[in-house]
Amino acid sequence: MASPCEIWVDGASPDTWPDLAECAYQEAHRIERKWSRYRDDNLIHRINSANGSETEVDEETARLLDYGAVLFEASEGRFDLTSGRLRQAWRFDGRHRLPDPKQIEQLLHHVGWHRVRWQRPILQMPAGMEVDLGGIGKEYAVDRSLALLQAHTDAALLVNYGGDLAANRAPAGDSPWRVGIGDEGQPEGGTPLIRLRNGGIATSGDAHRFIEVDGIRYGHVLDARTGWPPPGAPHSVTVAASTCSQAGSLSTLAMLSGTGAEAFLRDQGVDFHVQRATAGASPG
Amino acid sequence: MQLRPGLLGAAAAAMLGAPEAAPAETTWDVDAATLLYSEFDGRVSGIESRLRGGRELDDIRQLSLGATVDVLVGASPNGALPADAPQTFSRPSGKGDYTTQAGDLPLDDTFQDTRLALDVAYLHTLDVLRAKATGFISAEYDYLSIALGGVIARDFNLRNTTVSLGINVAQDTLDPVGGPPKALSIMPAPGQPTGRTVRTLEKQVHDLLLSLTQVLSAQSLLQVSYSMSHARGYLTDPYKVLSVVDGQGAPLRYAYEGRPDRRLKQAVYAQYKQLTAGANVLDTSARLMRDDWGLQSLTLDVSFRFNFRPDRYLEPHLRWYRQSAADFYRLALFDGEETALRFATSDQRLGRFDAITLGLKYGGRLRSGNDWNIRLEGYTQIAEIAGLSAQAAQALAARAIEPELDAVMLSAGYRFRWTP
Repeated sequence: MASPCEIWVDGASPDTWPDLAECAYQEAHRIERKWSRYRDDNLIHRINSANGSETEVDEETARLLDYGAVLFEASEGRFDLTSGRLRQAWRFDGRHRLPDPKQIEQLLHHVGWHRVRWQRPILQMPAGMEVDLGGIGKEYAVDRSLALLQAHTDAALLVNYGGDLAANRAPAGDSPWRVGIGDEGQPEGGTPLIRLRNGGIATSGDAHRFIEVDGIRYGHVLDARTGWPPPGAPHSVTVAASTCSQAGSLSTLAMLSGTGAEAFLRDQGVDFHVQRATAGASPG
Repeated sequence: MQLRPGLLGAAAAAMLGAPEAAPAETTWDVDAATLLYSEFDGRVSGIESRLRGGRELDDIRQLSLGATVDVLVGASPNGALPADAPQTFSRPSGKGDYTTQAGDLPLDDTFQDTRLALDVAYLHTLDVLRAKATGFISAEYDYLSIALGGVIARDFNLRNTTVSLGINVAQDTLDPVGGPPKALSIMPAPGQPTGRTVRTLEKQVHDLLLSLTQVLSAQSLLQVSYSMSHARGYLTDPYKVLSVVDGQGAPLRYAYEGRPDRRLKQAVYAQYKQLTAGANVLDTSARLMRDDWGLQSLTLDVSFRFNFRPDRYLEPHLRWYRQSAADFYRLALFDGEETALRFATSDQRLGRFDAITLGLKYGGRLRSGNDWNIRLEGYTQIAEIAGLSAQAAQALAARAIEPELDAVMLSAGYRFRWTP
């Protein structure tokens, strides 16, 4: 998780802070270690190098896979835990060159949750396919860390892992946490704010991860059915929901709705902020 | 995109589940299996039950514990040949005797063995390195075996290649009933003193295994290995005898067998696995073994796992085995040979024979994720007469004395997860 992580605590004595920070750090680290696709000593590596044979997964991983399966169905295949292979074609490093459509065509042969045989606790997929829980893992880590911290303290808490965050309740005085929406750093005047008492906030899209060719901006959220960013996708979508995981999924699905992002989120009845090239749009 | 509001909220809540207090899971993977074994012609029958549990201590450490109990009943050949007249043998203790009818293969029904074995293994993974330590203890009433072992394996080439080196050291102690007889000494007549002293004997076995596993493609895998095993100490079966026959092939007396006190075995093994039609697995292997007792063997094995449904499979299995006899294997001795030879055995396991195993396994996975299987196998051994002196061969020419063995095995297994 290469993002700054912070824990806000209100109502606990300072001598407990190091323990709380340690507890959250350990949990985030555990999750990163368990499901990172950049390691070769974890379950994800075993799954991705199984070469077509079955892999048995633990209960916790099974829950994430179940959730990924729900997202796959709900998004009609746009969101897909096996879309990671597309990264081989798309490198969002600010270059002004699009990938070769033939390469994407080739990679799509190795993408598709419908090709995966998932029957708890056994996962089996054709050789050459990869599972990546990165699209769920970070928000899951936020929710899990908050739940663990709540077991340690009665204080009001806000866990922020690189902009995806969750809080258990408002700080003393009952004024909600005020979360600024922006690229990074402290909010400045005019920055949109979301007020949060409890629940999670997550953002999809990133100001630094896109390719721009002939004036068209290609964001890094890819439609797994086509291998391309959805047409008309916003720059970023920020959603508030009852958990960070839910907020994260809604923001990703909104991105995948392209031009229909705002309509999709309005139907879901959640607070959101959509930023497009020219102006931001909010539900009012 | 149509998404029912609230669906994701419920799904996310299901994923987040109840907060877990400890990140480490204490779930055991348990394998339970029972094997029934029965030889034809009223010989040995046995039942073996095995229970093995494994759990992950954390992401890099695993522990497994196993226990095996087996019970053998019935009678096994004592090494003597059938004869035209009833034959009476002293029991190994020197007290009592048993008689075999004319024409029957002499079987010793003295022992009903019960064996208990425990094993433990600890696996530590460090990136591409895996180290495993194993311990083993097995006890039956006259035999105790303790073994310690270690395996170190390393992956190369993006984990497509694995090299492993294993060593194992076993220390066995035997307390033969009635004491160990001297090699090729004559079995005393029933009721006569044996002249033997009861004492404890020892045997050490050192094993070395070098193995290379290579992923050839997304569908195929090859493993080759070399193994060496060196045994030292008391390697004789203290309860086995040989018939000493006269010119007509009739038994004059019985001599206890005797074997050298060292044995070096070397073997090479190759296994090839191929995934076919995306789901079925062809598994073939060959093993070539030779030892410094003059024995050589070849095993060819093939099985095919046919996954005819995602949760069901059928697996036919065929094995062919051929072995040549040890230098000192003698089906029987001719009068006087027992005083000239240093070593001799009529144990069919050291004789010349072919064997075929034919089996079928049927298994599947339940909705709970637990696995089950049942397997039926038949074994038939076709022996050739080996190790007879010219005189003995002539004396026994008219008799049907080829040792034969047929057996059937039925096993059932169940694998489940268990949280204490």
